[in-house]
Amino acid sequence: MNHTIGNRRIIGAVILSLAMCFTSCSRREKVLTFAVGGAPNELDFWEQLCENFQKETGIEVNLIRQPTDTDQRRQGLMVGLRAKKSDPDIFLMDVAWIGQFAASGWLEDLNSLPQSESIEVEKFFPTVVNLAGIYEGKLIALPIYVDGGLLYYRTDLLEKYGFRRPPETWKELIDMSTKVQARERATNPDFWGFVWQGAQYEGLVCNFLEFAVSNNGGLLLEDGKISVNTLENVQALQFMRDLICNYRISPPNTFTEMKEEEVRIFFQQGNALFERNWPYAWGNHQSESSPVKGKVGISPLPSFPGGRKASTLGGWHLGISIFSDSKKEAAQFLKYVTSYGIQKQLALNLGWNPGRVDIYEDPEVLSQLPHLKDLRVVFENAYARPNVPYYTQISEVLQRYINAVLAGKMEPVEALVKSEEEISEVVRNYAR
Amino acid sequence: MQDDTRRGLYNTPKEIAEAVVFALPAILFLVCFLLIPIVGTFVSSFYRDVSYLPREFIFFENFRRIATDSTYWRSVYFTVLFVACSVAIEMVIGIIFSLIMHEAFPGRGILRGIILVPWAIPVAVSARVWELIYNFHYGLANYIVTALGIAGSPINWFGNSVGAFFALVITDVWKTAPFVAIIILTGLQAIPEDLYAQAKVDGTQFMQRFWKITLPLLKPVIVVALLFRTIDALRVFDLVYVLTKGGPGGSTTSVSLYAFKTFVAGDFGYGSAISVTLFIIAWLFSILYIKSSRFLEEVK
Repeated sequence: MNHTIGNRRIIGAVILSLAMCFTSCSRREKVLTFAVGGAPNELDFWEQLCENFQKETGIEVNLIRQPTDTDQRRQGLMVGLRAKKSDPDIFLMDVAWIGQFAASGWLEDLNSLPQSESIEVEKFFPTVVNLAGIYEGKLIALPIYVDGGLLYYRTDLLEKYGFRRPPETWKELIDMSTKVQARERATNPDFWGFVWQGAQYEGLVCNFLEFAVSNNGGLLLEDGKISVNTLENVQALQFMRDLICNYRISPPNTFTEMKEEEVRIFFQQGNALFERNWPYAWGNHQSESSPVKGKVGISPLPSFPGGRKASTLGGWHLGISIFSDSKKEAAQFLKYVTSYGIQKQLALNLGWNPGRVDIYEDPEVLSQLPHLKDLRVVFENAYARPNVPYYTQISEVLQRYINAVLAGKMEPVEALVKSEEEISEVVRNYAR
Repeated sequence: MQDDTRRGLYNTPKEIAEAVVFALPAILFLVCFLLIPIVGTFVSSFYRDVSYLPREFIFFENFRRIATDSTYWRSVYFTVLFVACSVAIEMVIGIIFSLIMHEAFPGRGILRGIILVPWAIPVAVSARVWELIYNFHYGLANYIVTALGIAGSPINWFGNSVGAFFALVITDVWKTAPFVAIIILTGLQAIPEDLYAQAKVDGTQFMQRFWKITLPLLKPVIVVALLFRTIDALRVFDLVYVLTKGGPGGSTTSVSLYAFKTFVAGDFGYGSAISVTLFIIAWLFSILYIKSSRFLEEVK
């Protein structure tokens, strides 16, 4: 997820990482360094976890606090890995760039580590492990938590206007939005039917893939060629533009300002009927100060006739650096973080969706987070972005052209034809 | 030049040794933080340096790729246009600000302080503030245009290339016009008051004095301000990164944002090559300014 940047946190991270550089020269035996980013409450959680781990095992863990922004976390890790530095030993990676890290040879094969048999791979979502955790036959990371796009809806408004269930198809979503939007605007002129992420960034590609796959489209990888210019994708892209320009149920700033947080806040203020977002928004919507608390439901995203309900796979994976000088301890730490108890804590304390499937059957977790039951199905069927090392370059191309279509600067067919041309250029430059 | 008089200062070995000792920290600093990174970037630009591909010397291949990379040329086009517009406006506003700050009137100290405030705020922070001002749903800009009846419905400021471009220019001008104002103020303070007194005796008007005395004498500081601002604006990054992320449709991607994106994607060779071109563009601009100021000097 791309949250907003906290500048203080960046500065903090820089100072900290400088400090780490200096202290690492005189490091004692058996000190692990663990790099992780996130919101302050998340970092507090990790800090506590490291302390508990030390109490149990006697292994000291140095926490490197990274920013929230995924690009900056990636860059921070790359600096050390490129220089073959031994720390951080263990770190979290976004599913969108794990392929690059794996292909660069920066990740240890978890099965080659001592006591690797005690890593319970089979307890994790098999689809997620297969799509992102395994690279060229090697297990290089485990999903700490998983993400997927969801449809959030206002239960109170659907009921008020006589709708019994959330939309199953995109057409139903348009009908419901049009009706509710027209009526609600009498009291709230800035009310919109459906908000989603359309700004030029990674989130846009995730949204596009959901629309496309729900129309039986998506990115096709065949013999090193990636095709995107298909009829299904053109229709999906046209539909995205129509949501803004034709049906007018998504606000005009969808393609300029709407990223995860903008969408979440807009919906949370009670200004929208439907919202596409990641699972993290659920906890925020249900918080004490939220105006829509208790009025929100979640369901899988709708589909086109004959298409399947699609959700782009997101989430963060834990991997061990190939340059680590304490791999045994790192493996112990990995085992600890992926254990049932800690994964359960992640769900209960942070509201995250654990990578372990068995948590989704835990009675205590389900009583506190009943929506996890529905999420399990979503994650099991999630659509993964291509796990190739040059995915970021492909995404850059798509972001630019899809955003241009939403801005009305280009027609969908032209945009996808040009995307495909530029993507084949990317493949030429970067494929092995 | 002044070389022969200066050379006389460092005759004895002791004096030379002292000079070296005093200059050494600065030289070391420049070597470590400027020379090594610049040379490193130049070297990288001749390699295929992608984290997941074997490192290989490819000579000018990265530059050949740049030559045909339409995304790159679009970013150059945006960056140069951005520099031209924002620096030109900053110069005009900066000169006006400095003239105001130079006049003696009650409350001048306070006014000087106020004018300088935007310059004191980090770019990323002021970009965040302007992001709120331009916000479609609850931004100040839309509040004003709808309240005044200029527009019937809120405007999506970043919605087209022109709007996004000027939103960025306005933010940059707001932020850096004060910087130009300070530099020019120092120039103003160096102009002898006698000149104005004499000109007044000759019966000149205010604008005449400005064109005939102030502006010609300010020329050296204006060149300095132009140089600083141009080089600074050429590497515009944070503003774009926060406000538009390069959108809509890639139309506001600056060269340094493109280089950054290339680095983040793991391609250090190509990213370095892009940075090298930016270095060359900035270098050409500096030469142009310095040459033109010397040329003007000689004409005079």
